[in-house]
Amino acid sequence: MSAPRLEARGLTLAYEARTVVEDLDVRIPDGRVTVIVGPNACGKSTLLRALGRLLKPVRGSVLLDGEELARIPTRRIAQRLGLLPQSPTAPEGISVADLVSRGRQPHQSWWQQWSPEDEAAVAEALERTSTAELAERSMDELSGGQRQRAWIAMALAQGTDILLLDEPTTYLDIAHQVEVLDLVRRLNVERGRTVVAVLHDLNQAARYADHLVAMRDGRVVAQGAPGEVVTAELVREVFGLESVVVPDPVTGTPLVVPGAPWAATVEPVDA
Amino acid sequence: MSSVSLRGYSVVRAGRASFLLHRRSALAAGGLLVALAATVVASLCLGESTVSPGEVVKVVLGQPSPDELVVGEFRLPRVVVGLLVGAALGLAGALIQTVARNPLASPDVVGVTWGATATVVGLMAYGVVGSTGEAPYAAVGGGLVAGLLVYALAWRRGLHAQRFVLIGIGISVALSSLTSVFLTKGDGFQAQAAKVWMTGSLNGAGFDQAGWLAWVLLAALPVALWAARAQRSISFDDATAVGLGLRLDRIRLGMALLGIVLASCAAGAAGPVDFVALMAPQIALRLARSAQVPLLCSALTGALVVVLADLIARRLLAPTELPVGVVTGMVGAPYLMWLLIRSRRGGS
Repeated sequence: MSAPRLEARGLTLAYEARTVVEDLDVRIPDGRVTVIVGPNACGKSTLLRALGRLLKPVRGSVLLDGEELARIPTRRIAQRLGLLPQSPTAPEGISVADLVSRGRQPHQSWWQQWSPEDEAAVAEALERTSTAELAERSMDELSGGQRQRAWIAMALAQGTDILLLDEPTTYLDIAHQVEVLDLVRRLNVERGRTVVAVLHDLNQAARYADHLVAMRDGRVVAQGAPGEVVTAELVREVFGLESVVVPDPVTGTPLVVPGAPWAATVEPVDA
Repeated sequence: MSSVSLRGYSVVRAGRASFLLHRRSALAAGGLLVALAATVVASLCLGESTVSPGEVVKVVLGQPSPDELVVGEFRLPRVVVGLLVGAALGLAGALIQTVARNPLASPDVVGVTWGATATVVGLMAYGVVGSTGEAPYAAVGGGLVAGLLVYALAWRRGLHAQRFVLIGIGISVALSSLTSVFLTKGDGFQAQAAKVWMTGSLNGAGFDQAGWLAWVLLAALPVALWAARAQRSISFDDATAVGLGLRLDRIRLGMALLGIVLASCAAGAAGPVDFVALMAPQIALRLARSAQVPLLCSALTGALVVVLADLIARRLLAPTELPVGVVTGMVGAPYLMWLLIRSRRGGS
């Protein structure tokens, strides 16, 4: 396997004195959907931030096209790698089209503020995310799902081959979660984009990922295709949860069913 | 391929070059310019003796006129300084509010104004600085040092916007206490002069102040234009802004530095003129209905507020001339409140 476009080598990440990720190696397969999972505070979002140059490694490095991320001008990174943070904030009253058009910033300059390429990219991004009919609306007026699609449209308009998404389904109800994840999957299949997403729902991760990275305490516990990686042992090791793993009745991917729930010690009725 | 209509923008294309024009901002800028010109002319007409607008225009254009002395020598310098001070404050406020992502931030809040004030009052009260002659240098120095100190203290793996405002408030309070100490402990007569300077006044303002302020503004303009482009991504959260390829630390430092310099220079020229830097960007934002604080409109709004306030300050209790700083709040605050009540925008 040739070197992937995005990889981390010997990565150690820390906030102030607190080390969150230690000596971690990860290779992001090109043109695939990679999902990072793990319990809260396992360092998955921190890892994603480092992959997106938002956090500088204490040791080790993130390589983009074989070049150390810290050495590439941030604007040139932005032409190849787009990212959507967990809860992005937009200026008040901004319209969807205005928001999405700002995804073109890394391709624009002083004297090229709105080229035909910009317009085409924005139009396509709106189209693909089904936000074209919302284009004139203000972001404040949208539902959570619509807003998230608009943000994804902005990241798409940026026209990067690699897309990093930090918990793109947080705060969405289940229908909107599925909608957003289907969209991500489609972008990957139809456009060959490399996607790296952090998700906290293991079942969704197993459904949508080509490549799963399971983390715990700042280390990678297992990585590979969900069908091979997700087992009851892994769930116990990563989440400390007893469970049964069965095939998903729809997709055939592993479905994690947690062990018996706590119930009050009431005698069953028919006993 | 379908086209995209960017609501509220016009695209201007020339060959490979293309420019995005926010229509409402352009319209607001045009309207503000007209209002500013009218206020300037009115300011030059009105006074102890009334001069006709025709004569005023003649004087401004350098043609001989019987009113040359009154308009050209007495009134014009004051109006020009007021205009420049207002523009500098408006632009400074817009830059600081952009950096702090906070509509309540302004040079008055982040320590610059009080840095200038404490320095000037201290030096005046103890007789180090005679009077208004050297005050501008002291104000610029004091404002710069205080502003940079606040910026440095707010630094924590990058500028922390909330810390910036909070530390600014803390430093401002400390400096205002220090100013009170200077006023009570210093030489009585000198302290009185310092007190007058503190109210922010254009009384006796002359072209010697206008000259360097004009140069500073002229130098600030290209930087502000560059900043206006960065504003399109800086108005997002930090992560999104960096993701869009913005060198956040550098651009924020540049914008904050420019705002600090402009506010310090304005304080140097006219003393601390209250409230303009806070209010002008917010008025401009609502006039332009743009997604981020419009820099040019903020400067024009600041200029208009100060020139108008000074006209009122001169004429309201004539022949007594009030300090302009007393009136800016009276002119701007009700208007800002009216805009706030009327518009659907919140304050955040």
